[in-house]
Amino acid sequence: MSRAKLQGLGIDLPLFPITSVGSFPKPDFLLKARTDFANGKISRGALEKAVRQATAFWIRQQEKLGVDVLVDGEMYRGDMVAYFAEYLDGFEPGGLVRSYGNRYYHKPIITGEVHWDEPITLEWWKYARGLTSKPLKGMVTGPYTMMDWSFIEYYPDRRTACLALAKEIRKEVEALIEEGAKIIQIDEPAVSVRPEELPVAIEAMHIVTDGLPAYFITHICYGAFENIYPGVLDLPVDNVDLEMSNSGLDMLDLFKKSRYTKDISFGAVDVHTHLVEEEQVVEQRLRQALELLPKEAIWVDPDCGLKTRTVDEAIAKMQSVVTAAKALRAVTSDE
Amino acid sequence: MELTLCNHSSYPRIGDDPEHQLLRRTIAQRDKGERTDDAVRAAQDRMTELALAEQAEAGVDLVTDGQIRWSDPISHLAGKLAGVRVNGLLRFFDTNFYFRQPVVQGMLERTGPLVLDEFKFAQEKSARPVKAVLTGPYTLARYSVEENGGAGGFEKVLEGYTAALAAEVATLAAAGATVIQVEEPALLKYPEDFPRLERSLTALAMSKDSAQLALVLYFGDPAPIYDHLQTLPVDLLGLDFTYNPSLVDRVASNGTARTLMLGLVDGRNTRLEDPATTARQIEKLARGADLNRAYLSPSCGLEFLPRDRARQKLRHLAVIRNTFLGSPS
Repeated sequence: MSRAKLQGLGIDLPLFPITSVGSFPKPDFLLKARTDFANGKISRGALEKAVRQATAFWIRQQEKLGVDVLVDGEMYRGDMVAYFAEYLDGFEPGGLVRSYGNRYYHKPIITGEVHWDEPITLEWWKYARGLTSKPLKGMVTGPYTMMDWSFIEYYPDRRTACLALAKEIRKEVEALIEEGAKIIQIDEPAVSVRPEELPVAIEAMHIVTDGLPAYFITHICYGAFENIYPGVLDLPVDNVDLEMSNSGLDMLDLFKKSRYTKDISFGAVDVHTHLVEEEQVVEQRLRQALELLPKEAIWVDPDCGLKTRTVDEAIAKMQSVVTAAKALRAVTSDE
Repeated sequence: MELTLCNHSSYPRIGDDPEHQLLRRTIAQRDKGERTDDAVRAAQDRMTELALAEQAEAGVDLVTDGQIRWSDPISHLAGKLAGVRVNGLLRFFDTNFYFRQPVVQGMLERTGPLVLDEFKFAQEKSARPVKAVLTGPYTLARYSVEENGGAGGFEKVLEGYTAALAAEVATLAAAGATVIQVEEPALLKYPEDFPRLERSLTALAMSKDSAQLALVLYFGDPAPIYDHLQTLPVDLLGLDFTYNPSLVDRVASNGTARTLMLGLVDGRNTRLEDPATTARQIEKLARGADLNRAYLSPSCGLEFLPRDRARQKLRHLAVIRNTFLGSPS
């Protein structure tokens, strides 16, 4: 378990630390500001003011809810890959491709050597940190996902592109640590898609995290997790954040077959349904986790980022997470 | 030596120009109650016409309707069958594209044509022959789940989809489709199911009349099952050459009696292939395949690319063919 590591970093968290995966829904005023900015109706400064207001809103909400490890809510981002691609040299914005149904996104193209020139998320992280005294996660998209969700024209193969990205993303991580970030999440939702490439993802994660003084989390979701478990435990991170609830906790069956050895951020509510789970449902899910995992290893959060929900739904789902985690904390802390 | 150019299957239904965002805009307005289903159909018609025009402009000999009306390759067909409800999103193979998963609740039944109207519309609007495209029964079955007993197990689900698609193949053949493409990418993930696929394709082959039946595999390396594929009752084999460079050597050495659809142009990456390198691959393939009957195509549907790049890839087919034939592009 990594409690000692956290304490070494000066972070003392209660049992079942409550956090969220990263994104929250953008309030209506920010959506309008983004549209107005895209249409040339407002300045970048006006847009950034709206982003700051929205970030402050979500920091307040998380504090009010009683979240232990906060996020900035990613109000400044659209897509998690396109955002970083916009700031890294070597990328060109790509045209629209379909994600599903009538949803589309701009898929970036790697046309040159990737290079990190200056911090990408740092100013937003600093702004959010100034609004809270609680620990605040640094949030970075991982090299494997950056590679997999981009077109690769410059590099000869996927591994070379992934490792090149890892070297540059490490610089963003170093910048966050230098500014005081102690918990950093490297999002790798694509990592389960091609099981044969798991070694590449692990090699890249070593490049990003090796030797750096932070508690590292990686978020993995919506893939064939059974195809990369238990190999995924070789990722050099302290905590793996998993969407447990969407799949009916079936990943616990995998943990029965092969022991889970890291901290886990246990996705306790489904983010792809409007239905807000009752506290008892969430608590029952956590109790099932406790049958297999040591209580000191379990963090609690939603399955994935909440950006696809409404503001009210996101708050209600976080409330369920908080209430259930605190209830369980109360009854298990003395056991 | 001939080498016919053909599109694979899908084509982007959006682009960055406002004209190319007609369908997205109309669907969004329909979902808000501002437009009707008829307006969406008109937008689909328009985008299909644009897809056909861009294929023709690129010099493609055998075109498709671009699957502009398809919500995804699975639920567009399965969702039209009785006994199926369409559920939540699942990742489509190793792409960042998601399909809605069919949930089989009882016996599967085709209650009407699945893509006939789409095919007929494209055929009417295109001066070039149109290839009809279907996701195959095995792939549909593999990505479905059953509930409340479903159809009675995987074999029954596969039988249900097979019967439905065999009827569709017959309908398309009767409507004048000369090439009917059946896509079975799931086979490359589960090659041990080859006998199941063979049974299913045999049923489809019996329904094709004078049309040519094409089995098309993508998103994986077909080399391990290449020799088995030669035994299947199909006229055309479409192969994705982007996963294994040595597949070219396998085809060259082992040969084929089937007409090949050569997926040598990567439909998943924007990088354009070096024409000379690809031409050399084709030269090598000529040792094992009759290129007078072969098609040159992208490796998979082009919907995974932005529109401008998809169009470039289609134009690139002609560049590669001209390089191979030794004439200036």
